[in-house]
Amino acid sequence: MGRLLLVSRLVVGDIKRRRTQSALLLLMIVTTTTTLTIGLTLHKVTDSPFARTRAATRGPDIVAEVVPPPGPSPEVARDFAPLVHARGVASTSGPYPVASARLTAGGIDVPVQAQGRDARPAAIDRPAVTAGKWVSPGGAVIERGFADALGLAVGDTIHLNGRRFRVAGIAVSTAQCFYPVSTPGVIWLTRDDAGALATRMQPLGYVLNVRLADPSSPQAFENGNAAYAFGNDTNNDVTSFMTSWQDIRQSDFKVVSVDQKVLLIVSTLLALLAIASIAVVVGSRMAEQTRRVGLLKAVGATPLLVATVLLAENLVLALAATAVGVIAGQVVTPVLTNLGNGLLGSAPTPPLTVTLVAEVVIVAMLVAGCATIVPAIRGARTSTTRALNDPVHPPRRRPVLIAFSARLPVPLLLAVRLVARRVRRSLLTVASMTIAVTMVVAALTLEHNVDVHDRHDVASGVIGASSVADRVTHLVFLLSAILIVLAAINAIFTTWATVIDAQRPTALARALGATPRQITAGLTSSQLMPALLAACLGIPLGLALYQLAGGHVSEASPPVLWLLAVIPGTLIAVAVLTAIPARIGARRPVADVLRSE
Amino acid sequence: MNSRQPVLSARGLRKEYGRGAALVRAVNDVSLEVAPGESVAIVGPSGCGKSTLLYLLGGLERPTAGTLELAQHRIEQMPETGLARLRRRALGFVFQAFHLVDELTALENVELPALLSGVSPRKARERAAQLLEQVGLEDRAEHLPSALSGGQRQRVAIARALANGPAVVLADEPTGNLDSSATTEVLRLFEQLHADGQTLVVVTHDERIAATADRLISMRDGRFVDETRLTGGSARSLTEMAGLKG
Repeated sequence: MGRLLLVSRLVVGDIKRRRTQSALLLLMIVTTTTTLTIGLTLHKVTDSPFARTRAATRGPDIVAEVVPPPGPSPEVARDFAPLVHARGVASTSGPYPVASARLTAGGIDVPVQAQGRDARPAAIDRPAVTAGKWVSPGGAVIERGFADALGLAVGDTIHLNGRRFRVAGIAVSTAQCFYPVSTPGVIWLTRDDAGALATRMQPLGYVLNVRLADPSSPQAFENGNAAYAFGNDTNNDVTSFMTSWQDIRQSDFKVVSVDQKVLLIVSTLLALLAIASIAVVVGSRMAEQTRRVGLLKAVGATPLLVATVLLAENLVLALAATAVGVIAGQVVTPVLTNLGNGLLGSAPTPPLTVTLVAEVVIVAMLVAGCATIVPAIRGARTSTTRALNDPVHPPRRRPVLIAFSARLPVPLLLAVRLVARRVRRSLLTVASMTIAVTMVVAALTLEHNVDVHDRHDVASGVIGASSVADRVTHLVFLLSAILIVLAAINAIFTTWATVIDAQRPTALARALGATPRQITAGLTSSQLMPALLAACLGIPLGLALYQLAGGHVSEASPPVLWLLAVIPGTLIAVAVLTAIPARIGARRPVADVLRSE
Repeated sequence: MNSRQPVLSARGLRKEYGRGAALVRAVNDVSLEVAPGESVAIVGPSGCGKSTLLYLLGGLERPTAGTLELAQHRIEQMPETGLARLRRRALGFVFQAFHLVDELTALENVELPALLSGVSPRKARERAAQLLEQVGLEDRAEHLPSALSGGQRQRVAIARALANGPAVVLADEPTGNLDSSATTEVLRLFEQLHADGQTLVVVTHDERIAATADRLISMRDGRFVDETRLTGGSARSLTEMAGLKG
């Protein structure tokens, strides 16, 4: 009991004493566990919105369409005859007339497919009205993805082939892909209103919704005789085709999978960045912890007790971070996976499974274990006196860099020697900054591509087709912002760790005549060197990431000047972020530092 | 510079820490003048304020009150940048804990002040080699501090203090961490520096070093309590005066 109390007191005491450091470690582990939670739950959420929308709208298993050729309108509805009575068909709804028309409203002029519907709900495919009401004479219902892309709301006035309509409602359906996955966009009208839109050159087409006895194998049905008869009934050049619910889901999923791909890549990058940050935080803690081990041993603690104290402290932080990370992951995942307006709602909060929690806990435990084992072993192997007196992790000598730096101006001389002292830390800084720059470059490339496509779409008369790209862009920018904030925290902390580590040499340099400005410039430059390398690496890596995420750099590579601007941009950002800790470090009274040794 | 003018002078120097009941006067109304080529030893028990005084004289700490003049420049209010520049050319420091940069060789440590002063790398290297020879460590030039004995480390530190040809060398307990044999090495070096006309201000509680100075100042509770001009000064062998042979 006494030992437990002692361990608790030591743990609480040390966490309190190093509040900032403990908070940073907590933040880094929280980030890792959050991103891990997001990553692990992502693949479970993408199917849900489609399934839910399909269930709510009694979505069809097969959608059969016939499209007549331009010219005098033949009676094409009879072409569905082979299907309606085919074996395997449980029920059908329709056929419904479909008119190709042009929608105009407030500067908008886009093609639409206007489907004629009955006022009462259909047995199969009854679009779920999310705003307003269902169709009525003169009242149109617009597919939600389409309405969002055009910026239309209930009560707005639109014109279809010059005829005036009021937007009566907004609805979702799984009888076709949501806009802009499928174009033109879909509008539901009454049968009469739809029929009135037909012209001699644009006669009505028809659509039939089919419910199969075995919905799990629409492919088998499509390959059957009845379907063959339907598809090959070439009556007056009528085009007929079928689409299964799985095809529609697949097309919707392509959009969703872009999100998923982006999220997975970014969450991996976030995890890598968090690990790099943790390595810096844990590394600097280790240096201090070894001294602490010496102190504990000096007052009679056994190596086992010392290891217990260290492990307990890191476990407390890791477990707290795991709890916060799992909850944050649960909260953030649905926000990030709001899978488009064409389906009902966003992804549900993924369930907390034992496996998921166990996986996250294992990672957090690994972090805690690594943070414990090294100082515990070092402490056990180092004599008490040495652990108390000697620099725990003496800097390595890099003769080439030292000789090279002698030829440089004083700030750069100091910077190169600071980098040379802790090469591993500098490499971690390069890694974390490279991740941030990579993401920025990928986001810039995406933004540029969206701009190019927007211009192309406007030129083609298609409006709002980039809404999916916009959504991905927003997602990428949101995640980039998270990455940048984390990289910024990391840059500040790394600078601070460098300031603390270089206290003695910088104080000595000041005693020997270096000015505070030279020291500040040296400390800042020691972060700018890895930043420069990171910026140079991040540009090609960002383009590669964009390509990996499904983009095509060759189609719309951002201007070279944009990319080159990333280098000074990164350097300026790092200089601003590191200037304050560097200045504080350079202003610390020299006498205090030299006397404390 | 007028050779009779003091190279270092302090008037009414005071350094206080804390406030109210916790106020501590580490240095209390101290006045001092050091002539060019003079060797001054400041002695006193631990905690009497002698190291603080040395840091004040070197501009590493700001006084609470009083005036300080170094090489004809008032430094108590001088901006940090100006002070750093003055320190480069006018002062050399020798610390009890040596304060050598661990990852630099003896030669690289000695050339560091010259590089910080903007001297060309070639000249800095030549001067450092010459100084190492002067302190008898030319064969240890490429050794890291960890491969040197305590006495050798302090000799490297002394060579480093001389890198920019300073007007004054300030030494804080230069033999505090050394055994008697290493103390002898350092004493000999100070003897040689003094004979060469180097101005020295040495803070110590080691009476053997104190006995080698031109002037001995005793300090207690932040004040000078006694001052003795030693008749022998540099005319006699410092090590002999200190009672050390060898």
